[in-house]
Amino acid sequence: MAVIKYPGSTCELDTLKPLKEVGINGEIVDYRAFDPDKYSALILPGGFTYGDYLRAGAIAARNSRGIKEFYIQGKPIIGICNGFQILTEMGLLKGTLTINSTGKFISKWLYIKVRRFDTPLTYKISKDIIHIPIAHSYGRFYEEDLNERLITFTYCSKEGIEGPEHNPNGSILNVAGISSEEGNVIGLMPHPERASIRMISPSGEADGLLMFNSLKKYIEERVK
Amino acid sequence: MKLSLGIREIEEIRNKLGREPKEEELLIMDSLWSEHCSYKSSKFFLRRFSYLNERVIMGIEDWQDAGAIDVGDGYALVIKVESHNHPSALDPFNGAATGVGGIIRDVISKGAKPIALLDMIRTGRINNQKAKWLAINIVKGISYYGNSIGVPVIGGEFSFDDCYVENPLVDIACLGIVKKDRIVPSFASKPSFLVIAGSTGIDGLGGASFASRQLSGEDEIGAVQIGDAFYGKLLMDSTLEIAEKAIAIKDLGGGGLAVAVSEMVSPKFGAEVNLEKVPLRDPEMKPWEIIVSETQERMLIATDFPEKVCEVYLSNEIPCSVIGEVTERKEIVFKYNGEVIVNLPSEIVTPPIYVRNSSEYFIKYDELPNITAEEAVKLILSSYDFSSMEWAYSQYDYEVGTSTVIKPGERDSSIISLPNGKLIAVKADANPDLCYLDPYNGAKQVFAETYRNLASVGAKMIAAVDHLQFGNPEKEEIFYQFEMSVNGIAEASRFFDVPIVGGKVSFYNEDKHGNPIKPTPLIVGVGLLDNFRRTKKLGEELILIGKTRSGLGGSLLAKELNVKLRPPQVILDEEKRNSDFVIKLIKEGEVTYSKDVSKGGLVGSTIKLSLQISKGVNVDFSNMYYHGNRLESLFSESGGRFLVLTSKGDEVIDLAKSNGIVARKIGEINDEYEINLGGIRLRWEEVKKSWRKLNEVM
Repeated sequence: MAVIKYPGSTCELDTLKPLKEVGINGEIVDYRAFDPDKYSALILPGGFTYGDYLRAGAIAARNSRGIKEFYIQGKPIIGICNGFQILTEMGLLKGTLTINSTGKFISKWLYIKVRRFDTPLTYKISKDIIHIPIAHSYGRFYEEDLNERLITFTYCSKEGIEGPEHNPNGSILNVAGISSEEGNVIGLMPHPERASIRMISPSGEADGLLMFNSLKKYIEERVK
Repeated sequence: MKLSLGIREIEEIRNKLGREPKEEELLIMDSLWSEHCSYKSSKFFLRRFSYLNERVIMGIEDWQDAGAIDVGDGYALVIKVESHNHPSALDPFNGAATGVGGIIRDVISKGAKPIALLDMIRTGRINNQKAKWLAINIVKGISYYGNSIGVPVIGGEFSFDDCYVENPLVDIACLGIVKKDRIVPSFASKPSFLVIAGSTGIDGLGGASFASRQLSGEDEIGAVQIGDAFYGKLLMDSTLEIAEKAIAIKDLGGGGLAVAVSEMVSPKFGAEVNLEKVPLRDPEMKPWEIIVSETQERMLIATDFPEKVCEVYLSNEIPCSVIGEVTERKEIVFKYNGEVIVNLPSEIVTPPIYVRNSSEYFIKYDELPNITAEEAVKLILSSYDFSSMEWAYSQYDYEVGTSTVIKPGERDSSIISLPNGKLIAVKADANPDLCYLDPYNGAKQVFAETYRNLASVGAKMIAAVDHLQFGNPEKEEIFYQFEMSVNGIAEASRFFDVPIVGGKVSFYNEDKHGNPIKPTPLIVGVGLLDNFRRTKKLGEELILIGKTRSGLGGSLLAKELNVKLRPPQVILDEEKRNSDFVIKLIKEGEVTYSKDVSKGGLVGSTIKLSLQISKGVNVDFSNMYYHGNRLESLFSESGGRFLVLTSKGDEVIDLAKSNGIVARKIGEINDEYEINLGGIRLRWEEVKKSWRKLNEVM
């Protein structure tokens, strides 16, 4: 599994930790050296690729030939935070991520609800309400006429209630993450790798690890 | 460009050179001998911090760009604190952002990976529009740079006082981690090649000199540097990659190339630099501009492998070139296309050392105003200083690195995990009001408070760095504040067996009328602990450890009442005894939660505890030991006290007794969401709303 590093990526090492924890063989790969035939899945980690210049993810999206090839091969692609922004900029996921309705960067632990269970991060997942942190300026998802079937995660309360008071950034329909029609491409603003270590989790739960466990099962059972 | 050198200093340079200095040479000397770079007014006294124990790897005597201590398993923790006050006064966003960038580069200069930042910000009260503008944009600047570069801000403090309206304080501390045998020095140890990474532009001309005089009120915006965090990130990644190939690394900070080259080689070696080889943003730049430019995101490297070093930077698209050599000949020579622009003997870098005159001042204390406890509680609750700083922290990416165990604002100290599995607690403290009333005891108290804050999460303090911030040291009363603060810190450092491994001095913090800030010595402490547990089941009994002493001087209540009152005595033995006792209680699982008693005294600390644990609290203050009157007993910020929660109250009290420590049960937690302070009843939800008052306006 490849964790793609662009200039300005900041979460590539953090993303390796839970992969190792669940037993996925992952490595950090420079975007220039990425060989799509060598890997069975890829993650675009969080960060500030190219300093968010132009738009968050916009420049990385224009330096992504290998990722497009990987997409054509139908293999799992996961975008976390800035990685999600790159995937929408590439057009591999629907919609756009614009500035938070607060106008500010938001760093916060919150809850998200799993709405779709056939994606690499939600496959056979054992919980549908996940405690997880967000950290972004450009996380407000927008898409006209969004096919609701693509909505994979929504912001919610601890009890799973969606609603404007649990929406941190003004995303349409509380969207925290979506996936492609086929389900193999998924992007989300929250950081599962940051919710994978008990010691740093305010609730003491490591819900993010469940997503990486799903990823492992998905690769084993769904990827040839 | 404005010079800060005095007439007598120019005379001394003339004598040392035996000739008239050239204009470019004077510019270099202006930076090198600036207070900012040379510590000429402080160095003599800073020697008093010289105190070593077995943990110190790089201490204050080494005079490197940062300190380092041994944290076990072959790792060194690098610690550094710095301010960016004057730039932030003019351009808060860029001033604060470059403050973050600068300190991160100081840490990577040691070959260490930056793992955490703390920001300690002081502005005027935010009902002043300028203060509010500064506060908001300082936070934005830190958020921009820290987030983009991927180093978490894990803690800090925010405080408001009108002495900082024109001259805010923006102090940033950075922790880094490196294998201890891989620390890169700041000094070149042998002749080698000099490589510069990053391109040079015309921003920040004369910034070191600008930082070394009071704000003029004139247009000095050209002395403020502009930061580019993306570029900083690439520079950081590349520098950590080449660190093993370096003999010495220095960040190009105050005084630019002039200071970086001179400090790297002198007094043992010299340097020859060819300025035309420096990569430039503007090809029209004149030689003197190249020498003193303070463009951010540049590094100077002494190495035997210049091509390999350049290769790494260039592969990250950072301009890089070999600009000269470290030489045996003890002269610092800057040439431009073969023409000698500057030729100074290496030893001239060593600045004059001043022992300035000082004069003690005496405080005329006010009478304690006649107010009721209820009124005082309201004052505390309405104070800006008694507010959640979530509005600031929520703009910081404090989880990047996936190591932040205690988040900013969550407890009295923050905790971060290290690669070797150990935990580091970190906290910064200052108390300008107390230090104004009594700089010597105030500074001791600040040190003790840091020790106590670390203890409250179970960590034993092992090292400190300090930041000493004052007005113009040429004024005798200001120098008195400085000198006595140094004495207080030096004494406390020895008493607690906590070495000061580095620090920074910032003078000339005055507005354009010459009004100084309150003396603001600041201590950043780190402590080590093996484990940290978030206990789900809190004990119900609330125990007060330590005796409440009279004196409201330096307290939040006195600040809000705007009166000068006599401060409580500083009793270091009680501080250490009680803190060490709490560390032991936490380690042995005797207490489930602890919090030090500080801002707002027992009232403020009980309220804060109640907010932190999301539970109501009933307190009966009549059951505690104190001396002084009732108001003092509730609001005194005398040291050495903790509030702890336990289910084994009697046991804790007995244990305390056997250690000669006063402990009393003063209350219990409740599920009613009520805070009952000895009959003063507050609704938890309302208190929380008032605690979060800044979230709405900032």
